[in-house]
Amino acid sequence: MRKRHPWTLLAVMGLLTLVPVMAQEGETGRYHNPAEVSARLKQMAQAQPEVAHTHTLARTPGGRELVLLEIGPEIGTMPKRNPAVFVAANFDGLVPLATEAALHAARVLLEKAELRNDRTWYILPVGNPDAAARYHDRPLALNSGNDQPWNDDMDDRIDEDGPDDLNNDGLITRMRVKHPEGEWLPVPGEPRAMKKADWAKGDRGIYKLYPEGLDNDGDGRFNEDGTGGVNMAINFPHLFPFGKPGAGWWAGSADETYALLQFITEHKEIGLTFALGRTNFCRVPPKGGRKGEADFNKIKIPEEIGKRMGLDTTRTYTMAEIMEMVQRFVPPGMEISESMVASFLGLGAVVNPLPEDLKFYNELSEKYKEFLKEKKLDAKRLEPAPAADGSFELWVYYHLGLPSFSLDFWTLPEPAPEKKAEDSGTGLTPETVEQMSNEEFIALGEEKIGAFLKEIGAPAQFSPAMVIGALQGGMMTTKRMAEMMRRMEKRQEAGDVDPETKALLEFSDAKLAGAGFVTWQPFNHPTLGEVEIGGEVPFADTTPPPDMIRSLVEGQVPWMFEIAKRMPRVGIAESRVTPLDGGVSRVEVWVANQNYLPYPTAMGQRCGYPAPVVVTLTGEGLRLLEGRARRTIKALDGFGTHKIAWVVQAPPGSVLTVAAATPNAWGESAQIQLGGAQ
Amino acid sequence: MKKILFLNLCLLALSWTMTAAVTPTIEVPLRFDDYYTYDMTVEALRALHRAYPTLTRLDEVGRSEEGRTIWCMTVNNPETGDALEKPGIYVDGNIHGNEIQATEVALYLLNYLLANHGRNERITRLVDTRCFYVVPIVNVDGRHHFFADANTSSTNRGLRRPKDDDNDGLLDEDFPDDLDGDGNICMMRRRDPHGQFRTDPEDPRLMIRVKPGEKGEWTMLGSEGIDNDGDGRINEDAEGYVDPNRNWGYNWMPPYVQTGSGYYPFSGVGLKSLAQFIMARPNICMAWAFHNAGGMFVRGPSTKAQGEFHPEDLRVYDLLGKEAEKMVPGYRYIIGWKDLYSTYGDFTAWISNTMGIYAFVGELFARDQERYEQKPDAREIDPDYEEGPRFGANEAQTRDRLKFNDHLAHGELYRDWQPFDHPTYGPIEIGGWVKMSSRLPAPFMLKDLVHRNAAAVIFSAQQTPEVSLGLIGTEALEDGVHRIQVRLVNGKAMPSMSHLARQNRLYPQDMLTVAGDGITVVAGGRINNRFTGDVSYKEHRPELQFLTVPGFGVTEYEFLVKGTGTVTVNYTSAWAGSRQLSVDLK
Repeated sequence: MRKRHPWTLLAVMGLLTLVPVMAQEGETGRYHNPAEVSARLKQMAQAQPEVAHTHTLARTPGGRELVLLEIGPEIGTMPKRNPAVFVAANFDGLVPLATEAALHAARVLLEKAELRNDRTWYILPVGNPDAAARYHDRPLALNSGNDQPWNDDMDDRIDEDGPDDLNNDGLITRMRVKHPEGEWLPVPGEPRAMKKADWAKGDRGIYKLYPEGLDNDGDGRFNEDGTGGVNMAINFPHLFPFGKPGAGWWAGSADETYALLQFITEHKEIGLTFALGRTNFCRVPPKGGRKGEADFNKIKIPEEIGKRMGLDTTRTYTMAEIMEMVQRFVPPGMEISESMVASFLGLGAVVNPLPEDLKFYNELSEKYKEFLKEKKLDAKRLEPAPAADGSFELWVYYHLGLPSFSLDFWTLPEPAPEKKAEDSGTGLTPETVEQMSNEEFIALGEEKIGAFLKEIGAPAQFSPAMVIGALQGGMMTTKRMAEMMRRMEKRQEAGDVDPETKALLEFSDAKLAGAGFVTWQPFNHPTLGEVEIGGEVPFADTTPPPDMIRSLVEGQVPWMFEIAKRMPRVGIAESRVTPLDGGVSRVEVWVANQNYLPYPTAMGQRCGYPAPVVVTLTGEGLRLLEGRARRTIKALDGFGTHKIAWVVQAPPGSVLTVAAATPNAWGESAQIQLGGAQ
Repeated sequence: MKKILFLNLCLLALSWTMTAAVTPTIEVPLRFDDYYTYDMTVEALRALHRAYPTLTRLDEVGRSEEGRTIWCMTVNNPETGDALEKPGIYVDGNIHGNEIQATEVALYLLNYLLANHGRNERITRLVDTRCFYVVPIVNVDGRHHFFADANTSSTNRGLRRPKDDDNDGLLDEDFPDDLDGDGNICMMRRRDPHGQFRTDPEDPRLMIRVKPGEKGEWTMLGSEGIDNDGDGRINEDAEGYVDPNRNWGYNWMPPYVQTGSGYYPFSGVGLKSLAQFIMARPNICMAWAFHNAGGMFVRGPSTKAQGEFHPEDLRVYDLLGKEAEKMVPGYRYIIGWKDLYSTYGDFTAWISNTMGIYAFVGELFARDQERYEQKPDAREIDPDYEEGPRFGANEAQTRDRLKFNDHLAHGELYRDWQPFDHPTYGPIEIGGWVKMSSRLPAPFMLKDLVHRNAAAVIFSAQQTPEVSLGLIGTEALEDGVHRIQVRLVNGKAMPSMSHLARQNRLYPQDMLTVAGDGITVVAGGRINNRFTGDVSYKEHRPELQFLTVPGFGVTEYEFLVKGTGTVTVNYTSAWAGSRQLSVDLK
């Protein structure tokens, strides 16, 4: 059975009436499915054709469109004179909020000309349409794959054993079943949460846990081969996780990903990217410390190659040293590049952000915190997810060397700090209990004892009546209870409920009236027998209720515009002419990056993808004595300058033109007046 | 309108006459005493297809960057079954545009298999039981330009995908230039009393490096060309460079790690089509990619980090590699990363890791086989020699090769130094080894090369799995239950699925199923030891067993079946086809 969110229906009706873009009510108050997003983007392009245009990049295996909205001053022209910002959202299909943020960004950009007069914005609100569509379908389950059929269990059938909504609540949760090999047990004090038994702490496993479903193909496993093929969030080339479920056969094996690889590398005007989803390079700057780093200052020569070239394999060399040595082995005239040497030696990829780049990542992270504080969106929340191997955001930085930022817009509020027994309502501590006699304790009454048991997280079978009975019968003493309390406290401190579940349960109880978690309920399973079904509601931890969308995206999306303001901008800072004798002049030009972000990044220099700044000097009757007419600058720091000088001879009074050009950081040209009368 | 139609007709007629002029008629059997251009290769494939219409089919795999068609010829005898029902052997060549004799190996193999089918008993059997997929030219643009344009024997490897090699903001703007118009890119030298080289006293065409204190005579100026983009460098940004053998989707690395890898895997559109073509043929179990040069049969892994192959797969590689070494004298069976260098995103890494196929690179042609005086001991190593030990030969060897050029190739391989007035350097000389030399055998030696290498392919094809299914017996147990025991035997060296394919979970293993009306399979599984009764039953769905039949190996299964009637035992394998037997239970 399919259930639909009521707000989906409302939206479809809204579209039929074609309300003008900005005036549409409830635009930010609900989650749009991929078809609606496509329609909205096309509608936006239709409403403002002079500044907006849609590109359909690919068709998904599920028959959906991968639609990109272009907004800017150069619609339909290639190559472009201005740089572009690429914004992509929801690559794993599990973050509908990111799609809403991208849609909101598109609306703002269309409204505010000053944000897009001198640059293009490419907006891809749904990076994985097949997966994203499932949020709007029932039963609700977490599934990041596109609709590509995939034989997950390598048996004789494909996509034959997906989840089944056994209890018909429209949600795929979990099943727990008592089993001699069970290794899970409910967390004392929070019996909704489950934890893995640790025998060293005296735990005894009770349950086996399965995802909610049937063993449709009778192979003894549950839901091991449902629909869902390739996940765009891990189908990009940097550290592509071959063999991981959802990764696909190779980076770019999915048509959706391939189309993006193609589009982005063909559009050299793209100078900055954002990935909207679950990671956040602003809250947590890209982390270093990954193993496998290729350090060009400490290169070990593999033994096989060392033997052949007569090099010492026990020491390390710098890249420059190796380049010099290799030069001996190649024919004259052949040029050796760092990349040739790196690939010959098998040095591998850069896997940690380069220190130079961390400077701007860290600084912008600080600025972001201030920004959030101002917007009053700085309440403590769970950390964003770490960037995944094979993700878009890592690819852009590590392979293209462009500044790559990712943003998440919501995680669960951080759970309240653990309450100590001392602060508890009953006021009972191990010390006070220890000093009480059994009778004194029983005299507290069933209600207080019940509250006390709950506080210390006693298992459900410990009812007040049972405890009183045990105390009366001498099976239990207050002294032993105090010991028990101390043990329980330790467990609580050790964090028996994992912080994410704890955060979810708190949020669910406080804001969702408990709807974020399905309480375990018995169910008679056709093959497993008596089970209980319950657990975290899918999406409850990534997708806030629709009434929160507006404030979250309106508050945080502008941070993208803040970063975009800092894109490198190449211009000519100054030029000087020094006349020498005989109509000969020395011309000096300072080419400058007039903005904060470097051009390109340090990683960009390493991978050589961003084009250099090209500086040309032209003029009638110009004769160059020193320096070529076309020069390149490999890199400019943020607010950095680079001097280029020529010695020229030209007719007196000549006007020369100097131009600094880049494909994705603007450029500028200037006239230079040479001395002397014309 | 009429005018345009007329013009079109004229153009059509013109283009037809032009094609007819450049493409001589090609007849079967094909000849192997010279090299085929791209157009001639396509003609040769068509001729083979015309001559053997039942045994062959010609498929368009895809189109290249410049729109040329990549062709695959399939050799399969439909009378003995569908292609996909037989082990498939994939052979390609010329993925590097300049490595052209690889195509001749592929064409020779096709010609040889077809011409000997029905004539030679072993080849007939091979063609009737296997299927061959042959892509003679992968880099179709590269082959075209190698012939059509001036080149050295090493240029024009890459794909025609523009790339800014020298990072100056311009794309492919400084190709080599054929200054003297002879169709070759040779070397340039300038007379220079301060130069680092002097004329070789034994052969004035050669130069040797001056020793300290000696007077120089020449400065080497690199390969023939001018500074087209005015950046002070010559020939630094030619086509691409996207290396079609570093653009595949397994262990692909960006260009700063692996030169020539392209912006992303399969950015080469022809390569992407080829990958999809191969993926659609799950019966392929063996692959050969021919290159030049060096005289090597190279197997993976292509990087150390991948780790050595599993012994199960190594047995196959070692058998095929060591045998190939013997079949092609002078060639060595080696491991890519260890004996050559690390490569990322190469074809064989992709096909072995993503498709689970056994794969070799055949590096055709060993230069030292072009010998004049058959005295290898006369060659000493002199690391200071002009061409360097890694890229060329030593002094004595080069002198010897020049004699080979003089007396066996009659001057076809080397261009004598001729004066030229260079726009940048002034008076210079141009000369040296020509395009059709150095990595290519002189045409008279071609036939031996193509035959021996094709024979190595044929040997490997003969070792693809050949599985038979037989009944060991049935036994009536109590309560109407029968025990059925069957045996699968593989008579060849290659298992019915590679270990790598199983390890990487690329596709389902072979399946053995038991079915019949009125029977139920109570239990079933592998027989570990038939004599001791040691069996391992599969807990769920015993009627379906997943297995691999090892190379030169046997595997046995048993099923407990309740009921009577005809029971069908079915074996299906991606590589080894399908087999069936039935048993009547009473």
